Order: sequence, then C-alpha cells, then structure tokens
Amino acid sequence: MKTRSQLASAATYLILAGAALLTLAPFAYLVCGAFKTRDAFFAAHFLPRGSGPLGIDWNGLTLEHLARLFTDPSLRFGVSLLNSVFYASVSSVLATLCAAMGGYALARFAFRGRGFVTALVLGALIVPAPLLLAPTYALIHRLGLLDTFAGLIVPGLAPAFGVYLFRQAIRNAVPTDLLEAARMDGCGEVRLFFEIVLPLCRPMLGAFLLITFIGAWNNFIGPQIILQSPERFPLAVAIAQVKGVYGTDYGLLMAGTLVSIVPVMALFIGLQREFIAGLTSGAVKG
Amino acid sequence: MAVALRPRPMRPDLLMWTFARPHQEMYAPVLAAWNAEPDRPKAESLLLTTDALQRRLLSGFLSGTPLPDLVEVHGGIIAQIFRGPIDRIGFLDLTDRLRESGVIDMLNPPSLSPWTTRGRIYGLPHDVHPVLLGYRADLIEAAGIDLTQIETWDELIRVLRPLMADADGDGLPDRYLLNIWETNPELIDVLLLQAGGGLFDERERLIISSDLNAEALATIVSWTTGTNRIAINAPEFDAAGNRLRLEGVVLCSLLPDWLAGAWQLDLPQLAGKVKLMPLPAWRPGGRRTSVMGGTMLGLPREGRDIERAWTLAQELYLNREVARRLYREAGIVTAVRAFWDDPIFDEPNPFFSGQPAGRLYIDQAPHVPVRSSSPYHRLALAALGDAAMALKMQAEQHRLSAPSQLKPLARALLAQAEQRVRRQMNRNVFFQIEEPTP
Amino acid sequence: MSRARIYPLWAPWLFLAPFVVLFGVFMAYPLISSIGLSLQQTYGPGTSVSVGLKNYADLIRDPLFWIAVRNTALYTAGSLFVQLPIALGLALLLNRPRLRGRAWFRLIFFSPSLVGLVFVATLFGLILHEREGLLNAALARVWPAFPREFPWLQRFVMPALILASLWMYAGFNMIYFLAALQTVDQTLVEAARVDGAGPWHVFRHVTWPAIAPVSGFVALLSVIGSMQLFELPYILLGGPGPESRGLTIVMYLYQNGFETGDLGYAAAIGWVLALFLIGLALVQRALQREALS
Repeated sequence: MKTRSQLASAATYLILAGAALLTLAPFAYLVCGAFKTRDAFFAAHFLPRGSGPLGIDWNGLTLEHLARLFTDPSLRFGVSLLNSVFYASVSSVLATLCAAMGGYALARFAFRGRGFVTALVLGALIVPAPLLLAPTYALIHRLGLLDTFAGLIVPGLAPAFGVYLFRQAIRNAVPTDLLEAARMDGCGEVRLFFEIVLPLCRPMLGAFLLITFIGAWNNFIGPQIILQSPERFPLAVAIAQVKGVYGTDYGLLMAGTLVSIVPVMALFIGLQREFIAGLTSGAVKG
Repeated sequence: MAVALRPRPMRPDLLMWTFARPHQEMYAPVLAAWNAEPDRPKAESLLLTTDALQRRLLSGFLSGTPLPDLVEVHGGIIAQIFRGPIDRIGFLDLTDRLRESGVIDMLNPPSLSPWTTRGRIYGLPHDVHPVLLGYRADLIEAAGIDLTQIETWDELIRVLRPLMADADGDGLPDRYLLNIWETNPELIDVLLLQAGGGLFDERERLIISSDLNAEALATIVSWTTGTNRIAINAPEFDAAGNRLRLEGVVLCSLLPDWLAGAWQLDLPQLAGKVKLMPLPAWRPGGRRTSVMGGTMLGLPREGRDIERAWTLAQELYLNREVARRLYREAGIVTAVRAFWDDPIFDEPNPFFSGQPAGRLYIDQAPHVPVRSSSPYHRLALAALGDAAMALKMQAEQHRLSAPSQLKPLARALLAQAEQRVRRQMNRNVFFQIEEPTP
Repeated sequence: MSRARIYPLWAPWLFLAPFVVLFGVFMAYPLISSIGLSLQQTYGPGTSVSVGLKNYADLIRDPLFWIAVRNTALYTAGSLFVQLPIALGLALLLNRPRLRGRAWFRLIFFSPSLVGLVFVATLFGLILHEREGLLNAALARVWPAFPREFPWLQRFVMPALILASLWMYAGFNMIYFLAALQTVDQTLVEAARVDGAGPWHVFRHVTWPAIAPVSGFVALLSVIGSMQLFELPYILLGGPGPESRGLTIVMYLYQNGFETGDLGYAAAIGWVLALFLIGLALVQRALQREALS
C-alpha cells in the first residue's frame, strides 16, 4: 500500500514537471531570444552553441536589446510603459468597481426589471466584439472622446462578464441577514456597499482586477484606433510596432515582450491567493 | 495622473499617416524643411500599424471620423477603398492633376496600375518593386555552375538539379533550388504575373481560369511534389525560414527590392554570398521580372487643404534625397524615372557580392507587369491558394508530378476558384464592371 | 416577496446605473444599429442600398461561411474535449494533499495567460514550423517514426491552433477547476477511500458531482470564447491560411467588414453567430434546470 502511494506521488511529480517544462519552454525561448545578437538569433533554438564555457557561444549574447529599449527615444518605451500602467490600472479599478456594483444590485435586491437586466448581462456575454467595432468607433468620435484615455476606458467599464461573476460571488459571500441587520442599525446604502459588501467579496475584487488588468495591458488594437497621438500609445502598441514592415528586430521584440510581462507577473504573484479564492466564489453556482 | 491631465496636443495643419517606421524617418527632414518655411501650414506624420491604419481609414471614409490630409497605404488596403461607386471613392482622383502637371511622365507607367480603378488614378506610387532572382552564388559557383547565361526556368532547374544530392545521408536532399510552396499564393501570383497571366486583367476582369494560369500553376505545383520536387517552403520574416536560408538549404529566392533590403538587415551572415539576376523566363524571350507589393500616397477627398497637401505630397514623393535614402536604407527603387540616373544605384553592393543591385532592379523596372487594383484581389488570391493546395493533394494522391499531367486538374480547380470569386463580386451593387462576352 | 422592503426603491438602480447607462450607450445602441446595417449594402453615408434579407440569404449559400463554421466548430470541440480535460487533470494533480511546490506549479501553468496574443502568435509560428519548428524536432526525438516535415500550419491548422490555445488557456481554466475542487468535501473523499474506493471511483462519485456545476460554467465560457476565436489565427497565419483552414466565423466577419468594407455582410455574419450562441445558452439553461429538478 505504501509503495503504491509512493509510486502515485512520483508519477504526479513526473507529470507535473513534464507539463511545467512544456509550459516553460516557450518562455525559455523568449528569454534566450531577448539576449541573442542579430547574427546569433536564428542560429539555434535556445542559446547559441559554441566553444565558450558551458558550450555556449558567449559572443552571441548581448544586453544591447534591453539597453536600447530604455535609451532609444524613437521607441518611446518609457512613455508607453507609463501610459500602460495608467491605462491598465485606471480601467481595471473602475471596471471592477462598476462590475461589483452591478453584481451587487442583481444579487441582493429584488426589483422590477431585475430579470430583464440579468438577461441583458447574459446576452452581452455572447455578443461577438468585432460586430461592435465600427459603430463604437463612430460613436466615440461623436461623443468627442477620440484621442482621449476616456474614449479608451469608458466603453470597457460595463463588463457583463464581471457583473455576472460578482453576482455569483455576492450571492455566495454576502448573507442577506447581515445586510438587513446593518440597515436596521441605520447604515446607508452607499456605506453598506463600501463597508460591508466590498470587503466580503475581496477575493473576487482581486481576481477580477487581475483579469481586467491583463486584458488592458495586452490590448494593442483598441488603443491604436481610439488614441490618435503616439505619445499616448501603451506598451503593447510600442512592442507591436517593433514588428516592422521591412523586417523585424526579433531580439528587440523579445526583449520588449520580456519587460512587458514583468509587471503583470508581479501583480499575479501578489494577488495569487485572492485570484483563486475569487474565482471559487464566482464560479460556484449560487 | 499627469499622463491623463496633459493637454491635448494641437492637431497639425497637415497630418500624414504612415505604416512604416523607416518611411517616417525618411520624411522627417522633408517635413522639417517644410515647417521651417514661414508661410506654410505645419505638417506632421503619425506612425500606425497597418491594421490600425486600415480600420481608421475605413471608418473615416464610411462614417466621417477624422482623417489625415495625406496617407500612405499599401496594396492590401485597396479592397475596401475601391469597392464603391467611382464618384464616391474616399481618395481624391489625382488623374487630372498628374496629367496637367506633367508628373505622370516622371513616373514608371506600370507602377500606376495598382492605384488605378476604372481608368482613374488615386495615388502617387511610392515604388516599383521589381522581382529578381537572388541566388547563393557561393554554393552554386563552388559547384562550377554558371548561371549568367540561363534564360528560362527549365534551364535553371536543369543546371542546378545536381546540387540536390543527399551528401549527409539523412534521406533528404541537402539543398533545394527554389523557395516557393503551394501554401504561398502571393509568390504563386508573382510567377503567374510573370508568365503573362494573373488574377485580373487591366480592366479588373477576373481571369483566374486562363490557360496561361493553368499551365504555370501546374508547373509550380510540380516543383513541390514527387520526383519533380525542387522547391522548399522557407517563409520570409520567419525564424525557421531564415535558418533554411542561412544553412544554404534554399538556393534561389524570388527577391523583390524591398525584400533584398530586408535581407541585408535581417540576414547579415549572407553578405557576399548572394547574387542577383533577372528571373528566368517562362519561355525563351519572355519577361525576366515580375512585381510584388507596393505602397502609394493618397489624399483623402475631404481634406482641409487639398492644394497644400498635394504640394507636400510632391515634395515627399518627387524628392531625390528621399529616393536615395529609400534605396540606401530599405533597398527600394523609386517609381520616379527621373531619379534612376542617380549614381547611388550603381554603387557596388557588398551584400550582393559587389553587384550594383540598384541598377539591376532599375534595368527591369520598366518591364514589371501591369497589375489590377481589383477590390476582390485578396479574395481571388485566397481562391488561388486553395486551388494550389487542392492540386498538390491530388498530385500526391495520384502520384502525378509532370506539369502536363497536372494541367487538366489545374484548369478544373481554377475554374472552381473563379466561380467562387465571381459569386462574391456579383453581390456588390456598386462595383459593376463589364465582363468579356463569352 | 413576503418580507417588507427595507431599502429605498432607488437603491438597486443606483448600483446598476453605471452598467445600465454604459451598456445602453456602448452595447445596445451599436447592436441595434448593426441590425439595420445587416439589411443594407453600404459604402458610407449616402451610398447605402436597402437589400432586405439578401445578406442573410447570400450568407447561407456562401461556401466560405460554411468553411468558417466547420473550422470554428472543430476548434470549439478541441477546447471542450482536449483542453478542458487537461486543465481538469492538472487541477486534480495539483490538488493532491501534501504536494510540494504547489504554488510554483500553479504560477507556471498560469503564466502563459500573462502574455499578449501578438507574442503567442509569433512564438507559435516558430514552434510549429514544418521543418525547423521546436515541436517537430521534439516529436522526432521521442518518436523517431514521426515525419521530418509535418505541416502544422498548412494542413493541420485547427489542431495547431488547439495546441497553441492549450498552452495559452489550459492554465487559466485549471484555476477554475482548482477553485471548484476546494469546495469538495474532503471527509466524503476520505470516507470513500476508507471504504476501499479506487481513485476513479472517488472521482466519479464524489469529486465530479461536486464540481459539475463549475464545469458546466467553464464549458459554457469556453464555448462562447472558442466560437469567437479570431485574433490568434489572424496573427499566426496572417489571415485565413491555406485553403481557408484557419478561417473562423469572426475572422470572416472581420475580413468582410474591415478588409472588404462590406459592413452589411459583416453585420449579418455577427447576427447569425449571436443568434446561435443565444440559442446555445438557452439550451444549456434548460438542460441545467432539468438536471436540477
């Protein structure tokens, strides 16, 4: 019996390690690529092989790409990094707040029209985004929001997916009795939301914040359409523009991608606990 | 927060969109000189990726969102622009301006064709993009083979075939003669155009199922299959394709001037190993070049200051210094014939083993085939690709590899492709062109 | 409602206001205008012709549309029957008690979700190359009979896309399953083990019933997402790919709307897809209701 469970546990580690290796291989490619010189880039899949120590051709490696990201002003890397941080944080915070408010209303109030709004939320989940592209762009123009961060952020602030997730999470995590007791004590509706509801669905806040942040961080088509001035473009656009028309500087592309992953990676590591607990509360059928 | 609160920058008086960073850099000095003149509207350029530029342009033309005063677009964008009625096309009709100013005589005539629809011209051509054959002179000459007297594809394949031996014994030939594959309709179209075929004729009529096309397609697919195989798939701008080029697995490539420029940047290891020659012809005395890709400069019809935009357009595109930089930095030959005498094109190019690459391209520039600007070009290209794939599958299934065996199959598949494209064309109520009487 | 309402009538609407207003402006309005568009052929203002249901009628007879439907269905099936089981398998392994390095594994499997699609597409273009790709090289090493040239991106586009999306999304879905597994009552699992139940038996009769609702939810999301597949093949193949094997419904919508400029036809495609998904969601609801009652 003991040996059988040992065998099973060894198999578990083996499979997990294998899967981890497969998941990481593309990242290894990315990291190697970010440090390879132009000449060495295509010579090997990972590190350039040669006669140097460890069998690696150290002359085929360089820090030039990373350095260029921060020193070549024509890449606008620094500005676009700031833009990305601004755009992704503002839109994720506001979208999460809107989603939490909407989900709360649908989960914990009984009112005429609730069924209808719930149906709208579910319906919105399944609208193919490209269907809306052309009319939305014309609309943003008519509202005078072209070339503003508002034009980029505001249309994304009614995430049906988020409203749905928060509706589930609040149904699971916020007891009606607690709300009624607080109301009896004279707690106002707005205070109730911020002081009781939000803290109780904190895991979902973290999870949804992360989801929307990643989405905004990697969005590269939207900003180019709504924003007109290059000094507002976020990082994803700056990186996409490295993929040139007459040839791509792969090393630079890889270095840019590498640097762009670091902030989201940090955010994920920081929010990991909330993320999992949050999805638990949102996914369970309430 | 500072980012959001920053005041919106003033929109310049003349705004230009482009999709290529090197272009933007080349125009910068011209724009600076323009802006230095006191009585001129302030001009600026904006770089967008092709997708974003295309979406913005379309929504400007279709729903009145802001457009620039000048815009540089590549051929792929033409589908959406030219599918409307001729009097409502979003770009300014430049035909009369070009004729009256005499500018039209400065330009390479076939290079106007992609920007001409129903007889009217809507853009200044940026380039000619002739196609030459780039070959690994180091490997071929070491084998004692001389390509300078080669005139046709058949001859080329005959003299190079010995190089396809399998010396390393891995069961595959060590080298292949040509980079082309049934999955790459763009390259196939280049060869169809060279053969005198193509997808549309000059008047934008569909000609996919022509006999010339069937013959050329059958030959190309025979190159990729069975005992006749001489080709390999080595996609450009692709790490794997580049490895095949670096390792000498590919001996010859169809090389438009812009790609020759890209190779010099991306594949510096090939310097001194490659040479250029005119494409081998389909038959003796036939055309020795073709054409691939292209960019134009257009003026949106609703621009605020059409006259000044037209002046600026000429300063940018009819500018010797820009033409020189375009060649030096991107390897691209200008469409302005008047600049072809520039000594820069005669400079020996070390990448191409000391050949005067510019001159070789310019020698073929007047002979590039005329192309259509049909908005259905992309669709037709996809249909051509599907026909090529299907032909390859049938060839493998029935173990056919001689062009003569493949030709009847090619003809049938191209007829199907033509039908598919025609059905979509017939849907369009705005774009009606007379069909040839059967 | 038997209990008296103890909150003001406006309270729910106060909280719903941002969603309802933004939904109305940025969703409902464009949606409704796209219905009108789908009944027209248009080339900008002043150049629109009303064509009734012609766009829909043409669509049904359009072979490319049906190719797109076939491909999209194939990919969706791959997401459902390949990717989700693998995600569930990883979650079950990670959920084993006394596993060391759990947090690390979780982070590793999730990490592909942090990367942008542009990069994923560039990367898989390299990995899936028929001759030089990492994948074929690796397969040839473990299985020497594997053909030297295996044209993933030419002939086996949908399997290739399923592989790429496996890399990208399996970790994300794994987290959903991991979340669901937290809700499984461990005492029931122990009790079953004590009764001598094997791992399969425990999974089938204890674990699965507990995570089935979440699985249904994940499957629905996965179907909705898969049916809208567009950017990955669009960037990876630069379009529909050979023989339109990478053409998806939304890519066909995009091509017609933004490459050909046929906005009416594009709107018709979008509505056909939307109606199909709405039907699917209704069926899923009905099935779930039946299962509960």
